[in-house]
Amino acid sequence: MDKDTVKKIKSVVGSEYVLESPEERICYSYDGTARRGIPALVVLPGNAREVAEIVRLANEKGFPIFPRGAGTGLSGGSVPAEQGLAMVLSRMNRILEISRDDLLAVVEPGVVTGRLHRAVEKEGLFYPPDPSSLQTCTIGGNVAENAGGPRAFKYGVTRDYVLGLEVVTPTGEIINTGGRTVKNVTGYDLTGLLTGSEGTLGIITRITLRLVPKPRAVQTALAVYNRVEDAASTVTAMIRRGIIPATLELMDRITIRCVENYLRLGLPMDAGAILLIEVDGLPAQVAEEMKLVEDACRQNSCRALQTATDAAERERLWKARRAVSTAIVQIKPTKISEDATVPRSKIPEMVERLKSIGEKYGLHLPVFGHAGDGNLHPNILVDKRDPVEMEKAEKAVQEIFRAALDLGGTLSGEHGVGLLKKPYLEWEAGAGGIEYMKAIKKAVDPRNVLNPGKIFQV
Amino acid sequence: MKLNETQEQMINRCSRCGSCQAHCPLYLATGVEPLVARGKVELLEHLIEGRLEWNDKLAEVFSTCLLCGNCGDNCPNQVRVDHLVREARRDLVAARGLPVIKRTVFQQLLKNDGRLSAAARLVCFYQRSGIQRLVRAGKVLNLLPGGLTVKESLLPRLAAGEFRKLVPRVNRGKKSTLRVAYFTGCMTNYVFHRTGRSVLNLLTGNGVEVTIPEQGCCGLPALAAGDYDTAGELARRNIAGFTQSEPDYIVVDCASCLGTLLEYPRLFDDGGTFARAEEKVMDISRFLVEVLDIKLPPATKDAGIVTYHDPCHLKRTPGGKEYPRALLKMVSGPRFVELPADAGRCCGSAGSFNLEHYRLSREVVKPKIRALEVMQPDIIATGCPACMLHLEHAIKDASLPARVVHTVELLNILT
Ligand SMILES: Cc1cc2nc3c(=O)[nH]c(=O)nc-3n(C[C@H](O)[C@H](O)[C@H](O)COP(=O)(O)OP(=O)(O)OC[C@H]3O[C@@H](n4cnc5c(N)ncnc54)[C@H](O)[C@@H]3O)c2cc1C
Ligand code: SF4
Ligand code: SF4
Repeated sequence: MDKDTVKKIKSVVGSEYVLESPEERICYSYDGTARRGIPALVVLPGNAREVAEIVRLANEKGFPIFPRGAGTGLSGGSVPAEQGLAMVLSRMNRILEISRDDLLAVVEPGVVTGRLHRAVEKEGLFYPPDPSSLQTCTIGGNVAENAGGPRAFKYGVTRDYVLGLEVVTPTGEIINTGGRTVKNVTGYDLTGLLTGSEGTLGIITRITLRLVPKPRAVQTALAVYNRVEDAASTVTAMIRRGIIPATLELMDRITIRCVENYLRLGLPMDAGAILLIEVDGLPAQVAEEMKLVEDACRQNSCRALQTATDAAERERLWKARRAVSTAIVQIKPTKISEDATVPRSKIPEMVERLKSIGEKYGLHLPVFGHAGDGNLHPNILVDKRDPVEMEKAEKAVQEIFRAALDLGGTLSGEHGVGLLKKPYLEWEAGAGGIEYMKAIKKAVDPRNVLNPGKIFQV
Repeated sequence: MKLNETQEQMINRCSRCGSCQAHCPLYLATGVEPLVARGKVELLEHLIEGRLEWNDKLAEVFSTCLLCGNCGDNCPNQVRVDHLVREARRDLVAARGLPVIKRTVFQQLLKNDGRLSAAARLVCFYQRSGIQRLVRAGKVLNLLPGGLTVKESLLPRLAAGEFRKLVPRVNRGKKSTLRVAYFTGCMTNYVFHRTGRSVLNLLTGNGVEVTIPEQGCCGLPALAAGDYDTAGELARRNIAGFTQSEPDYIVVDCASCLGTLLEYPRLFDDGGTFARAEEKVMDISRFLVEVLDIKLPPATKDAGIVTYHDPCHLKRTPGGKEYPRALLKMVSGPRFVELPADAGRCCGSAGSFNLEHYRLSREVVKPKIRALEVMQPDIIATGCPACMLHLEHAIKDASLPARVVHTVELLNILT
């Protein structure tokens, strides 16, 4: 980037918020994947006006901008290309408003999701989307990826909570979409379009989020099964009884063994699956629902069942699930996290297919994920220093995508396309679908300034 | 740069998940990635592969780490960036040598206990003779570069004399059955005599014989600066002093020293001498609770509201979180109040970090100060004299009336 441009950028945001040295730029070359790209400059703007000015400069000078929240993405979405500018939104981190009467919060994009959770829960309110990365990822990143989490089955994903946005367009205008009402059909649903647009259609600078009252009670159950099929039929049985659990986490046999080897919690090594179930709501309703959950588990051949109401006991039941990430890397250091998702009824079949894909390539492939919404997280465990293994993993990933699509599912339930799934987008969206997306991108970003090369090549 | 197999595996395991952002006090204070564990791992990978070489900027990045280990404690992939940063500093020293000031301090002063005393006496004289007041009043220090005035006030007020020379070598208690060797650490020896006296009182009063063997600096300052040679020499001397008399236990009152002593067997090859003694090394609180099973009566005097600061190097040792609290609750009962979770992290002292990165260390301690402003405790207890010093400075700065004490001091005052 030429000196003059850098000088201009410094005059916009202040020189202490512009990082130029290679050492500092290297620290913005990655996200949670293995993709890398060292940006030419790192800028941390402080408000929407500064963002807009830099975007206009980018249009004028012709350099690309790569928006970035906390850089926890799992699809390479925020990874810059050389000659580009990494625009880090983490400094814009104010919670501007929490309204108990309108049940909403207004925040800047750099607010860390977990911090918003704590702030609204203090007011007796609840922001349900709970990506596992919530202690670090930002709301801006959540909106840009349309992030989900374990609670999605009952409460939905980020999109279901975004009421309105302030956005800097790819040409540097500041626009507002949606508003403060749950109902809003004035014009195109731009809020919906921008949610999940992975930083390619605009830079989000302010977000209005819908909140709900905080559930008064929570109960947890842990059920052990011999076969995945029984766990899956438990899920179906619960739904037929009219219960939508807030959490419904599944662990397969390989995962259980990893956790047991690591923690020695006394989990049965020969179990085929474990379900972690949570119901929430008003105390009386929760108690009644938990009874129905227990019935469903027992009637579907669960071999052991534990339940808990108080916080400490519940945490004990969560222990195995929380340890999964750490436990599985004891086998191999590199984990490739996929998030292929299938319709709920196809879970047993998908688990079966994943097992045979793992066996075919001789790879460790533990599966644990959200059984309620079919978002299974197959994780391929490899050593990134072993090229042969990496190649096998690549092939296995392709087969996983095929399997998910065969079963009527999707390539990505929550991580987005970014760079990693770009080669496979056509399998799901079709040539026509991609053309439609490209037409939108070209119309709003004629100079291809925002996050170029992500999702598809214009 | 070359790493050993364990360290290489650690780097390889880091998935760049970013979870460390939520736990690194420096990231929380600044929000910039070169200061968080993840950024450091990426830079290390570049160093190892030869894509980067040591330069001033890189040296600065690696000097900016508290070595608090919070990242490692919470990393899902068990990457101990605190260890890796230390290793990087060692490599930096090998490549570029130590900064002159540190070289002088470590190699001249710390290695030679006698001379440290001489230097200590000099500084002591300077403080007591009133020159200090003169200098401050005349704002002479303001003329010096780099905000030296505030830095100067961070320097400890040295006590008169050395603790180790003021007390007997062997201190017998009433009907002593246990023999303990006491590692006093430099801070107790030169600054906080009151901590040392409290340790002696509590132990001898409870039937323990306390010996103060020949000893010197634990080596942490040198280790943190990457000077493993000096640290190794200091370790060897301490090992000799503490294994000779074959004590039942080796008790430490400083969390930083404790952390270093516990690492000796992994850092320096001494033919296994210390590895055998390692199990005997423990913090004073742990000794009081676990070994003595001490029962303290509730205090008759009211010390007011008491809270506790977790020193980074104590909280991850066995019982390091629970025992000090158990003791404080025995004497203070319901007057003991916990700090909120986000105020519980590293205070930012980290050896000489607060001198080298003054502004940043102020940012790090801010959440704690804000919580203390709300809580308004009378006493802040902790288990590390380095934290005590830094906290004293920070609360004075915020005009808070609280007193900072070592856990054992409070026990000693109140019982
Ligand atoms: C351990 C771990 C667990 C995870 N668990 C989950 C999970 O359960 N569910 C889930 O959905 N995801 C999960 N993720 C993925 C990731 O955390 C989410 O995608 C998250 O939303 C990314 O937020 P971020 O702030 O880190 O964004 P980044 O990674 O920095 O960016 C992600 C994308 O958003 C764009 N972007 C960021 N901020 C803005 C903005 N203000 N305006 C416009 N575009 C922007 C970037 O350009 C990029 O395309 C997990 C990741 C990790 C490492
Ligand atoms: S050091 Fe640990 S927590 Fe930090 S990015 Fe690496 S793996 Fe994640
Ligand atoms: S040791 Fe402490 S300061 Fe250093 S990277 Fe880890 S958490 Fe941050």
